[in-house]
Amino acid sequence: MFGEEELVKIHKDRATLISYIITACFGLILARLWYLQVYKGETLHNYSIQNRLRKEVVWAPRGQVFSRDDQLIVDNVPRFDAILTPQFLQEKDDTIERLTKILELEPDAIAKILKKNSNQATYRPIVIKKNISFAEVSKIETQNFDLPGVSVDTFISREYRDKEVGAHLLGYISEISQTQLPKLRDRDNIDYRLGDFIGQFGIEEQLDKYLRGTNGHEFVEVDARGRRKRYINNDNLFKGIEDEKPVSGMNVKLTIDRDMQLAGFNALEGKIGGIVALDIDSGEVLTMVSRPSFDPSQFSRGITSDYWRSLINNKENPLRDRNIQEHFSPGSTFKAITGIAAFEEGIIDENTEVFCNGSYRLGRKVYHCWKKEGHGSTTLVKAIRESCNVYFQKAANRMDIDDIAKYAKAFGFGTRTGISLPREASGLIPTKEWKKKRFGVEWQAGETLSCAIGQSYVLTSTIQLAQAYGAIANGGKIYRPYVVKDIYAPNGDLAKTFTPELLGQIKFKNNKTLKFIREGLYQVVNNPRGTNFYRRGQGIQMAGKTGTAQVRSSSADKVYQKCENMDFDSRHHALFVAFAPYDNPKIAAAAIVEHGCHGGSAAGPVVEAVISTYMKKYQPQMYLDNLEKDKLVRENWVQSLRANPAPKKPSEEPEDE
Amino acid sequence: MKQTILQFLKRYDFSFLGSMLSIFIVGVLNLYSSTHADTATGLDKLYQSQIMWFLLANIVAVTVSFINPKTFERFAYPGYVVTLFLIFLVLIMGKVGMGAQRWLVLGPIRMQPSEFMKMGLVLCLARYFSRVSPERPLGFKDLIVPGLITMIPAIMVVIQPDLGTGMLLVFIFIFIIFYKRLTWRTIATLGVIGLVSGVLMYNFGLRDYQRKRIHTFIDPYEDAKGSGYNAIQSEIAIGSGRLFGKGFKNSSQASLNYLPENHTDFVFAIFNEEHGFFGSLFLIILYLVLFMRLIWLATSVQRFFDSLMVIGVAAIFFCHAFINMSMVSGLLPIVGIPLPLMSYGGSSMLTFGVGIGIATSISNSRNLFN
Repeated sequence: MFGEEELVKIHKDRATLISYIITACFGLILARLWYLQVYKGETLHNYSIQNRLRKEVVWAPRGQVFSRDDQLIVDNVPRFDAILTPQFLQEKDDTIERLTKILELEPDAIAKILKKNSNQATYRPIVIKKNISFAEVSKIETQNFDLPGVSVDTFISREYRDKEVGAHLLGYISEISQTQLPKLRDRDNIDYRLGDFIGQFGIEEQLDKYLRGTNGHEFVEVDARGRRKRYINNDNLFKGIEDEKPVSGMNVKLTIDRDMQLAGFNALEGKIGGIVALDIDSGEVLTMVSRPSFDPSQFSRGITSDYWRSLINNKENPLRDRNIQEHFSPGSTFKAITGIAAFEEGIIDENTEVFCNGSYRLGRKVYHCWKKEGHGSTTLVKAIRESCNVYFQKAANRMDIDDIAKYAKAFGFGTRTGISLPREASGLIPTKEWKKKRFGVEWQAGETLSCAIGQSYVLTSTIQLAQAYGAIANGGKIYRPYVVKDIYAPNGDLAKTFTPELLGQIKFKNNKTLKFIREGLYQVVNNPRGTNFYRRGQGIQMAGKTGTAQVRSSSADKVYQKCENMDFDSRHHALFVAFAPYDNPKIAAAAIVEHGCHGGSAAGPVVEAVISTYMKKYQPQMYLDNLEKDKLVRENWVQSLRANPAPKKPSEEPEDE
Repeated sequence: MKQTILQFLKRYDFSFLGSMLSIFIVGVLNLYSSTHADTATGLDKLYQSQIMWFLLANIVAVTVSFINPKTFERFAYPGYVVTLFLIFLVLIMGKVGMGAQRWLVLGPIRMQPSEFMKMGLVLCLARYFSRVSPERPLGFKDLIVPGLITMIPAIMVVIQPDLGTGMLLVFIFIFIIFYKRLTWRTIATLGVIGLVSGVLMYNFGLRDYQRKRIHTFIDPYEDAKGSGYNAIQSEIAIGSGRLFGKGFKNSSQASLNYLPENHTDFVFAIFNEEHGFFGSLFLIILYLVLFMRLIWLATSVQRFFDSLMVIGVAAIFFCHAFINMSMVSGLLPIVGIPLPLMSYGGSSMLTFGVGIGIATSISNSRNLFN
């Protein structure tokens, strides 16, 4: 055996050998460097100076977006920027003068831009004028040799055909931000770079990975001044160099109908609000419009600070989506749910009569009906038709808030619908447990009465309302709303298709429940006493419910104050939710008009416009048949007017809380 | 008291820390030069975090230098097993980054266990060889167990896939067994095994892009658009530097983004472009000083384990430096191996810090603690 120190000594010759090997290895590297730097140095040096083959990113065309009827709604359009690279400027003043003339700029405009960018590296191009015309492009291109340092940058602009229509749904693209960069790299496992464009909102954000495609690259030869040479003359060094073509993004077909979008958008003219329409047998979203809106095209190539400021400073907040990212008190539109709960729980039936004298007292608090003089003796159908608060409050008083919540939740309220769009609001359906947890206070019986008519804590979004009324129409089927029908590969092959997803089927204990609720909803629109009779439209046979959501709780003396006389910000939100046609329902729609005061007059026409467009386009036969039926309704009305001239068009809109 | 501190400072071996500092200074200047233009990508601030990493690596090095070498010996096996387990974890639940899963994320900490394995393997092999028939040259049978110790992590790392680090582990193994002495028969057998497994590996074990790199290496001009492009551009960068280079911050290849990974794998190319042949000669001498100092230390310690450890540390540094320089200058296919103390990267910087710490500790143990 050897001792430790001897062992080390034994290996000394090896250590020496290793040090020779290491030296030899570095000798080899130095020899290689000598070969490259001295033997071939001159050649390679020339390559690096003269023959500048630059690898440039070729952006993948982003996928196009089509409506359900194959109309192109989001497209890519080539645009051009005039750019200048200071490093390659010669005869600076002359070049700038020529360029100013070509681009028809102010005399000192270019100098100003250059000054602004004077602290960046001189080989970085500076954008002189964005979005120049074809004429300007060709002038610059033909004078290329007299304008060293000036060139045209081509880029693809994302253009939204209908500008502001459905902007919240479609979203926009913009440059990835410094804070997004690390997060998104981790999330998508894509090596994003600053300058990459990504979807930031709506469909563009949600489907970014399908729409974006894969960027390619090309090799362009630039001369010593950075100008692109037109023809690449490959010498032996670069023989076989090939570009990599970008792969286009996938095309997306939405469930949205373009004409209905336009109808909804136009109907919301001058209003603040939104409308959603769903196909009740699938959950396909047919319409989703929010106003005020913004032009997403403006974002696709660096939004101007003026436009951005105008969006941000607008009190009406055009960037906010009113359909899925916001929730409101549903007001009286919620009475249908309260009615179903009471009917199913056996508290009322179709014959139950409740006397409404205009108010209802519980404990020390008085709950007013919107109709000061009262509705008199009221059945369920009449209560829905004329939106009687007292009827539903009396029914609710015999129930528990948890009972109402059970039905509301079954209809999809209080949870996100799960529509595949970012940042959906969940709404809120209060329960005793929720209140205890949230405020640490017990539930009050009076709060049940407020919740029963869609006030107090109850919050819903228009998409939830449309989903629930769709379920009332289709017999209790809750479908998950969806906006994307198909995704197509760039070559046109179907890559992915989306099918209806049934989230739940509500089982009704009483088979008469829906019949009478629907009857009531039908009369809201088609009975002269209904709260939406005057906006019933033609040939669409809507059944629906108006609603007015208080923005601020009114003190007793203001209960009957005319809504139009209040400050704009205090005016009630107006809602209308409907399905159509009544006897063979196909579509459900919900609209909100913020501070619109009356569900019927403000939100009613919006829903009517969208449903009319739908019926004419997709159910033309039904539409014609319904026109006949409408004549009948009208005749009946005229006859009843002759017999009993009492109900004439009210001079005042019903308050309809 | 003052006397003791002075005594201590006199005996403390600063040569390794000094060597590390000298290479780092060259490295960080080069990093600054090659990235200063990348303001758009934010890479121009990279040298600052590199300095932070270097300070951290120094703290690690100094801390490690106060650990008694016997402690390394005690923790060699457990350390190896834990690192192996971490690599296994990466395989089943690792964070996928840039197409390969190398990262293990524990809350705010992102770990790259394959990096720890370099040092773990050195410790484990040193421990193993310091006990098993230390006095005679190794026969083939003696290599089975250490071979497994090396191949298990190496294969797991290659699966990640991180071909470079996998190869590196094998090179460290070869370096150490060479030092441990082999019989000629063993060398011949290993040669045959290497050849056969190389062919098998090439045909079955490699992914397409890895195979492509080898093709590219054999004829970069055939596939000049893909990875061949990098190889060609790298050679142009080096060659255009000629004898004296283009000067600090004057690399056109870097500023025009001809070279990918300017700041990691290809720093040596930028360095050559800016400082030419004589610059590289200077840099290589700095590295040689470090290697020779390590090898001299290996022959002058009292315990065989210490000697093996120092050789292992030298192996890590040498393999990194040699493979990186070779691939950048076109002598080896392009694999992602950083140049010690020159390339940007926190994990590798810490590994080299630990290596320097171990060497210092062993050097100090000769006279500091006795």
